[in-house]
Amino acid sequence: MKAPSRHMWRRSLGVLVVVALCYGAVGGKLAQLQLLEHEVWQARAEEQQLSDSVISDKRGQIVDRNGVVLAQSVEVATVIMEPDEIPDDATRARISDELSVLLGVNRETLYKKACKTGSRYEVVKAKINDALCSQFVDWVKERGYTGIFRIIQDYKREYPLGNTLSCVLGFTGTDNTGLEGLEAKYNSLLAGKAGRVITTKNGWGDALPNDIQYETTVEAGEGNTLTLTVDVNIQRITEKYLDIAVAETAAANRACAIVMDVKTGGVLAMATKGDYDLNNPRVLTDPDDEAIIAQLSGEDRSSALLTALQKQWKNKAVSEFYEPGSVFKIFTASMALQEGLISERSHFFCNGTFTMAGVRTMKCHVYPRSHGDQSLAEAISHSCNPAFMKIGSLVGTTLFPRYHEKFGFTALTGIDMLGEARVTPTLYHAAGNITAVDVATSSIGQTFKVTPIQMITGACAVAGGGTLMQPYTVSRVTAPDGTVIQEMSPTAKRRVISADVSTRMCAMLEGVVDGGGAKNAYVAGYRVAGKTGTSEKTDQKTASANGRKGVVASFCGFAPADDPAVAVIVMIDEPQTAIRYGGTLAAPVAQQILSDVLPYLDIQPIYTEQELKDLQRQVPDVAGKTTSAAQAALKSSGLSCRIVGDGTQVTAQSPAAGEAISAGGTVVLYTDGSAAEHTIVPELTGKTLTEANRLLTDAGLNVMLTGWIDRDPDSIAVQQAVIGGQSHAAGTKIPHGTVVELTIRYQDSIE
Amino acid sequence: MASAAAPQGALTKKRKGRLFYFALGFDMPFFILLMLVLAVGLVSLFSASFAYAYYWNDGDSYYYIKRQLIFAAIGIVAMLLISTVDYNFLRKLKIPYIVMGISIALLILVLFLPPIKEVHRWIKIGSLRIQPSEIAKFAVVLLFSYWIAEFGNDMKTMKKGFFPFMAALGVVCLLVFREPHLSGTMLILMIGMVMMFIGGTKWYYLLGTLGLGGAAAAALIFIGGYERDRIDVWLDPFAVYTSGGAGRDSAWQTVQSLYAIGSGGLMGEGLGNSRQKHLFLPEPQNDFIFAVVCEEMGFIGAVLIIILFALLVWRGFVIGMKAPDRFGSMLAIGLTAQIGIQVLFNLAVVTNTIPNTGISLPFFSYGGSSLVMLLAQMGVVLAISRRMKDKNDS
Repeated sequence: MKAPSRHMWRRSLGVLVVVALCYGAVGGKLAQLQLLEHEVWQARAEEQQLSDSVISDKRGQIVDRNGVVLAQSVEVATVIMEPDEIPDDATRARISDELSVLLGVNRETLYKKACKTGSRYEVVKAKINDALCSQFVDWVKERGYTGIFRIIQDYKREYPLGNTLSCVLGFTGTDNTGLEGLEAKYNSLLAGKAGRVITTKNGWGDALPNDIQYETTVEAGEGNTLTLTVDVNIQRITEKYLDIAVAETAAANRACAIVMDVKTGGVLAMATKGDYDLNNPRVLTDPDDEAIIAQLSGEDRSSALLTALQKQWKNKAVSEFYEPGSVFKIFTASMALQEGLISERSHFFCNGTFTMAGVRTMKCHVYPRSHGDQSLAEAISHSCNPAFMKIGSLVGTTLFPRYHEKFGFTALTGIDMLGEARVTPTLYHAAGNITAVDVATSSIGQTFKVTPIQMITGACAVAGGGTLMQPYTVSRVTAPDGTVIQEMSPTAKRRVISADVSTRMCAMLEGVVDGGGAKNAYVAGYRVAGKTGTSEKTDQKTASANGRKGVVASFCGFAPADDPAVAVIVMIDEPQTAIRYGGTLAAPVAQQILSDVLPYLDIQPIYTEQELKDLQRQVPDVAGKTTSAAQAALKSSGLSCRIVGDGTQVTAQSPAAGEAISAGGTVVLYTDGSAAEHTIVPELTGKTLTEANRLLTDAGLNVMLTGWIDRDPDSIAVQQAVIGGQSHAAGTKIPHGTVVELTIRYQDSIE
Repeated sequence: MASAAAPQGALTKKRKGRLFYFALGFDMPFFILLMLVLAVGLVSLFSASFAYAYYWNDGDSYYYIKRQLIFAAIGIVAMLLISTVDYNFLRKLKIPYIVMGISIALLILVLFLPPIKEVHRWIKIGSLRIQPSEIAKFAVVLLFSYWIAEFGNDMKTMKKGFFPFMAALGVVCLLVFREPHLSGTMLILMIGMVMMFIGGTKWYYLLGTLGLGGAAAAALIFIGGYERDRIDVWLDPFAVYTSGGAGRDSAWQTVQSLYAIGSGGLMGEGLGNSRQKHLFLPEPQNDFIFAVVCEEMGFIGAVLIIILFALLVWRGFVIGMKAPDRFGSMLAIGLTAQIGIQVLFNLAVVTNTIPNTGISLPFFSYGGSSLVMLLAQMGVVLAISRRMKDKNDS
């Protein structure tokens, strides 16, 4: 038997060396995969091994300046079904039957989802509230369907005040991202940071058994809270009256109003009507639009619906242009005063027409009548077109565009809102391009366009000492832990006119409200200044049904005139009433807003002597007196009386002692203890003063007027005035002698 | 372990320094290395099969390891019994020819039995599955050892040292190839040629054969398009997987294997922490078990296991070289080379160094009969080691 040879030894060693080299090569390959390329492989492996689910973040609140919540996120649940886990068709049917009722979803749709075997993610219903969710959980437990359903925690945006401030606030999509308004503008600050849950899964996509499950959670971060400059109470007041005005005037193109803090440029209220319900932004609010769209189908329908929705979402106060009309005369006068081209002593003569730059003739709004000779204050009060075209021509083609720009009418105001419309040079007459005729028409607010926010911002500059402020809505950004991240302070942009010119303009603009073209904006006890405007939409191609081109009726003013605190602009777009003047339609809205807002802002009324006299005419206490003594007492107060019964002593009186009553009012005296006689309040709104007076007197009632009161009963103003509102609704039964307050709406010399 | 076994040995002054070797009478380093490999292999199988068994065997994570442990025990008993038998028995009574005859008969038989998993690799007897190719491997090693010992210096001739060997290899390989079992074919071919080379066949005969075979294979693959899918998967498993071609399943396996190995990094995810074994890597307890090992034990663990295998092979060769005769020598070398080459093939497949052929990792992959067979063959090596001469040389 031969032993292994030396030769075999050598060859064995050779084989061993080759095997060792091969092992080394495999080791090298392992080094490549595990050391050099480790991270690449790991990343690719984790892509399939880990499932990454998002934890929704809680969006921050939006609150008004008093902390009233305007927008908030509440926890809701989204129900997910895993059809793959449903064992049989009977279960599918049962789930579809019961769940469609419980969650209020379509049964057929649900059944189709349940039939998607192989699917592990079907949304049954998104964003259900807590109560419904716990009901659902009970149902799942009762039926033993725990493997089939999952609940994903989510948030839903809620707007507790519904329509209030809707066009400013905007809303979020189902993914809680801001789509419109401040929600979109401040999305990055409001949005929190989404969290994540990373879990391991197996090759079938399921979670690993519990004991080897690996899970990492990155908590979601809450968003910041926005505090607005807006005051909900002022907003509500503004919206209330604007809403009424839109209904009464049947404004075809909506209406808007802004209330602004004159000193800071902070927006106190900003309203657009018709607006929409923030909790249901996709529901059309305009019944006309709805009717039109209901008749369409297919693509026409969806595009029409989208257009209509975008219209109702649009914040008219910052996103839409209009010709300012006579309101702009505020600025024409301001620039001429600032340049020293005119003064309070200047006089202007109006013969009914004005020939611009010797080429084009334009009529005054009172043509064929005329204003004749007028001081500057009178010209403003009359809103006399020839006077202002004259002033414009004094300012000239060089200075006019310069001031136009300085007042901020050629640029964005920079308000922190979504969709502020940018005025392009095609919308106004830019420097270098402007002719003398352009200046003349621009002086009376025609042939160019602005946005309402530009207008009120400019007016604040005139009212507030001459400095143009940057308007803003958000005053503070607060982190979830309460620390203030950002505090916005008022930003002055530039000085436009001197403080002196500002004061003088305030005085003259007060005259417009105090008996002038804007007297419908008069609030007793407050010195309101302002200017009305009515501009025809000359660029409108087709006239409306009644053959007229649309107009914009507007008013812009501020109060108190001696120390302006708040400014108001009201703009009614395409009213459908017979009379469409800014003084008739917009000024009363401003009056209503101011008469509520000024006391709310703790601005004390200071009554003039005349107002005090009106106010202090109180009914004396004559009860218990003899009829003759009572008569004498009333007479000394400038009142008359009507005696009911045959008694000699007054047993009761109406109105009661201490009540305010107009001079010449009649007090009903009861002498025999008889009960008060009642009468029915007649319909007075829309009647002339004379008619209203007669109707009330016939009914045995007393009249008291509110609003600016013309002391000359024979004036055209009084003759043309109508009743805008009454304190006691028509048809109600009230005692004889009751004082019915009537709001006067002047119709005269208002363009 | 050695010192604990020491008092049992026959202590004589003359052999004091070699007590270690004679304690159990066989080569202790080889035995220890083998037990280490087996232990690591069983732990790896436990971990790799844990999740698979959990998902597929009604949550019984111990399904595979329980069975494998039983077979390991049977295998160890068989190994120890066989190690006491004189290996020269195997060359008597024409046993090498008989074994070869039986294995060829089985290889033919299996082709006519119904296929399992679409191939004719297994003969099923009750719950046992026997692979005729495993028996053929042993038959080749046994016959070649016999012939090399018989032919002696005639191995240099073509008539004795080349033709009979190639004829036997040809028949066996053709049959295995027909199963089809490409990796088994190549394994047997490699073992056979390594034995011929060490046994004394002229190296240029072998090189020539390899050259011709290689050229034929290349021609088949590149001109005939044979096994094209496998090659495509090997070149770019990701492309095949994403395009969903014919080799999609195999590509998926390779991709998941690479994910597992790569994820492991230097230190690994830790024993039991593989994520790839959770239904990503198909059948992690079988051919691709090493990928899970790499993921859990990292580069360090993987290299240590490779070194362990290399040491085992080295020790087997040492036993062979120190055997008292050529038959024992070639038998030990052939049986050890079989493990060395199979390990190499498996690691190369798992790391996608060579195309995926479907080859298990000895002592690691699940498979009862295969493990018993392996351990029995190791018993033969241990039996040879009892006759080792000049043990202090090692």
